[in-house]
Amino acid sequence: MAPKSKTTEKAVAAKKAVVKGIHGKKVTKVRTSTTFHRPNTLRLPRRPKYQRKSIPHAPRLDQYKVIIGPHSNESTMKKLEESNTIVFTVDIKANKRHIKDAFKSLYNVDVAKVTTLITPTGSKKAYIRLTSENDVLDVANRVGFI
Amino acid sequence: MPGVKAYTLREKSKADLEAQLVELKQELASLRAQKARGASATNLVRMHTVRKSIARVLTIINQQQRAQLRLFYKGKKYIPLDLRVKKTRAQRRQLTKHQKSLKTEKEKKKSIAFPQRKYALKA
Repeated sequence: MAPKSKTTEKAVAAKKAVVKGIHGKKVTKVRTSTTFHRPNTLRLPRRPKYQRKSIPHAPRLDQYKVIIGPHSNESTMKKLEESNTIVFTVDIKANKRHIKDAFKSLYNVDVAKVTTLITPTGSKKAYIRLTSENDVLDVANRVGFI
Repeated sequence: MPGVKAYTLREKSKADLEAQLVELKQELASLRAQKARGASATNLVRMHTVRKSIARVLTIINQQQRAQLRLFYKGKKYIPLDLRVKKTRAQRRQLTKHQKSLKTEKEKKKSIAFPQRKYALKA
């Protein structure tokens, strides 16, 4: 026979596909593991058509809620004079970071560190140590504490 | 000491109200510090009025925001859930008035062809 040109080959293949259909040869996937893992499928991000809540809530634990008031007795006065530390009653949900930020923003002083404890009565006490450049007595006066 | 009044607050802008809120919160904080020291009776009374004033300001801020939002969403199809009609769960699932009034073509034709007759006895 005359050597088949590319076009005739194509034509013959097309005819065969039309007559016999294209699903003759089954291609099975090669499985390299005995366990079947769920295939990854399309995961769309959320695009809500409406907000569920109309107004998102204002931050619930703002600086005014965090710091409740100064805590005062002989031992705290001692701490005030000796360790540059002021003692505050604080919201029980507040953590040391909250307390530090709230104190800084309310009284404009730098805080060295905060230690907290929960009293047997259920309130939180915070020992706020100020940096050495700040005067605790000055802050205590401003707070209204002495 | 009286504390803020709602009708004066309603005229204020949002920024004003938020500034007032901060003021009131600061006052409350100072009152609490005074209480720790040992407060007079007037201060303790003042604490109550300040707390209620804060509540009033927050209420009005909220009311204004929601009113604005309702205007914004008016006529739109999808509204936030807390702005939708509340009623009761069962009532929300009932057919609407329009849906109840719908009739099939057959029924419409029948009602035209055979309306309710009214009879009267001649006295």
